Amino acid sequence: MRRIAALACKDLRLLQRDRVGFFFVFFFPLIYSVFFGAIFSGAGGGGMGAMKIALVDEDESDASQQFGRLLEESTEFDVTRSRRAEATDMVRRGDRSAYVVLPQGFQESVDRIFQAESIRIAIGVDPGRKAESAMIRGLLTQYAFRTLQDTLTDRLSMRRQAQSARARIEADDEIDPVTKTLLVRFMTEIDFLMAGLPGNEPAGVKNADGSGGDLAGLDGWNPVDIEVESVLKERIHPRSSYEITMPQAFVWLLLGCSAAFAVSLVMERTRGTLIRLKSAPITLAHILAGKALACFLATLGGLAVLFAIFRLAFSVRPDSYPLLLLALISAAVAFVGIMMLISVMGKTEASVGGIGWAFLLLMAMTGGGMIPLMFMPGWMKTVSDFSFVKWSVLAVEGAVWRGFSLAEMLAPCGILIGIGLVSFLVGVRVFKATAD
Amino acid sequence: MLKLNQIHKAFGSMKAVDGLTLEILEGEVFGLLGPNGAGKTTTVNIAVGLLAADEGTVEIGDGHSPLDAASRALIGVAPQALALYEELTGRENLAFFGRLQGLGGGALKSRVTSALDFVDLGDRAGDLVKKYSGGMKRRLNLACALIHDPPLILLDEPTAGVDPQSRNALYENIKALRAEGRTIIYTTHYMEEAQKLCDRVGIIDVGRLLALDSVEGLIDSHGGASALVVDGGDGEERIETDDPVAELTGLKSAGRLKSFRLDRPDLEQVFLNLTGRKLRD
Repeated sequence: MRRIAALACKDLRLLQRDRVGFFFVFFFPLIYSVFFGAIFSGAGGGGMGAMKIALVDEDESDASQQFGRLLEESTEFDVTRSRRAEATDMVRRGDRSAYVVLPQGFQESVDRIFQAESIRIAIGVDPGRKAESAMIRGLLTQYAFRTLQDTLTDRLSMRRQAQSARARIEADDEIDPVTKTLLVRFMTEIDFLMAGLPGNEPAGVKNADGSGGDLAGLDGWNPVDIEVESVLKERIHPRSSYEITMPQAFVWLLLGCSAAFAVSLVMERTRGTLIRLKSAPITLAHILAGKALACFLATLGGLAVLFAIFRLAFSVRPDSYPLLLLALISAAVAFVGIMMLISVMGKTEASVGGIGWAFLLLMAMTGGGMIPLMFMPGWMKTVSDFSFVKWSVLAVEGAVWRGFSLAEMLAPCGILIGIGLVSFLVGVRVFKATAD
Repeated sequence: MLKLNQIHKAFGSMKAVDGLTLEILEGEVFGLLGPNGAGKTTTVNIAVGLLAADEGTVEIGDGHSPLDAASRALIGVAPQALALYEELTGRENLAFFGRLQGLGGGALKSRVTSALDFVDLGDRAGDLVKKYSGGMKRRLNLACALIHDPPLILLDEPTAGVDPQSRNALYENIKALRAEGRTIIYTTHYMEEAQKLCDRVGIIDVGRLLALDSVEGLIDSHGGASALVVDGGDGEERIETDDPVAELTGLKSAGRLKSFRLDRPDLEQVFLNLTGRKLRD
């Protein structure tokens, strides 16, 4: 194993030292996909603007409508009002990131703030979207605080709350008479105080920016009770154009790696180093395993770097990381096999490079490496079934935005691994037969 | 050290080696000569395990087959093509081939250093090989063959395309290896080189061994007679004779001797006598 590792390390170092090759293997795919990502932007999904949510107002009260208006006026949310069933469908289809329900009793919960009740809100979101869920909850809490603040600074609302509280205290037989008298008197005085204030002026001092002053002492008290409902998303559209072009970038990297390593295997022959490798106390299997390992590691490493760039720079977020890993490993296996096959397509570096790239470009053209699969006409999609590039793109898309389950991933990944193994074995056989 | 017994090898209908039997003794420098297409490369490739014979046996050391991967550790190969990675440094090339031979850690470091020193490349060890001159590459090629300290070394055209200084340095390296008691198989097209370095020489053609002996033995048996080149005043005349003294005495008494020189047969003459003067392209 140490010898195979030595062979692999040598190939990785050679690849890294070959600046032109390194550019075409690692940077060209990135440039290609960013370029087309920018061209396609708007065709795929919503980008990073306001979060699209559906608002379900089941209370239809003043308070719920006021809260709804706050959300509609916000810059963080793009709000569509709908009924709960429709909202659920929208989230499931991926048309909306989440729905927000203001349930029946919303007004009552707002009015009972003085009785330490929380404002009740429900949200529906895909359980896999933890970051989005947290973001929505944070924003809703912020807007609920604002509603509360408006309530506390609204004289009529305050009087209504004081009167409501006084009536509840009077009706409660379990409170002892002395306490009841004190509380009733306290609420009456608040009501009297609010009635005496002019207009709807603030009840307290605000901060310099005009927000929040009255709530300064409310630390630790959460006035909002947000219930999260799970809505499993049926993803059928990419969120952004970069979710379309990222698989293509992966494909170009795979193509580049397999072509580069195929040529490097031929170079071992033409430059005589294969003789020295064969004269070492290792078998031909070791030599080919070392080459395959280097190709696999370079491919997987390159894919990881590309993914990190897309994740950080373009906010591409796969539906499932484990399935994406499965897709990338399967694609890497397939292209290692293809590398081996290409390496025996000719005798010289020029012939292998030429024939190999012609073959790879044909596969890329028909398999969605140039035109995204989703934009292909029907007949071309049928033709693409014969291209290993298509299965690589499909596997990655399945994990990134098509929402494939593990069972659905098995088909493209299985085909890729199968292609990889068959190609590798055929390549090794031909290589062995011609190695002398 | 190495025995080839009744080796046959064909590529399609072409017989490359045809019943060749040969023994290379421990500690000798053995020269294998032959015209292009004679079967030299096939023979040495079979000898060091790079190629399997169709028939016959090869034994290395205590009866091991060179086809057995482990026994290949006994052999160091410096192929005719410069089997080096140009994008790696000299030191990296040596370290890589050393690792393939199973070396590691301090042993590898020490072997790399001594191999570099042996071929006088210590000060350029950190340079990429693509920046080396032809002679430096040849020396590094030799160093790579020595990295695991093998007792048997195959040097295939080790001085091809190098300048006289580098060639001379390589001669010195080879003499030093012989002095260390290593066995060397040496193939070359330069007869002068073989004559200077080899203890014994085998000449093969059409896959068969035509002659095998020391250089002097080959000259005696296949070099033909010595020749007198005489100038009697009307140009040079070449006279082949087994008794040059008697011939010169006769010429002098006849007044036909102004100057003369004696041409003794050499290895090249032996080679041409055995393999003919027909071009082999």
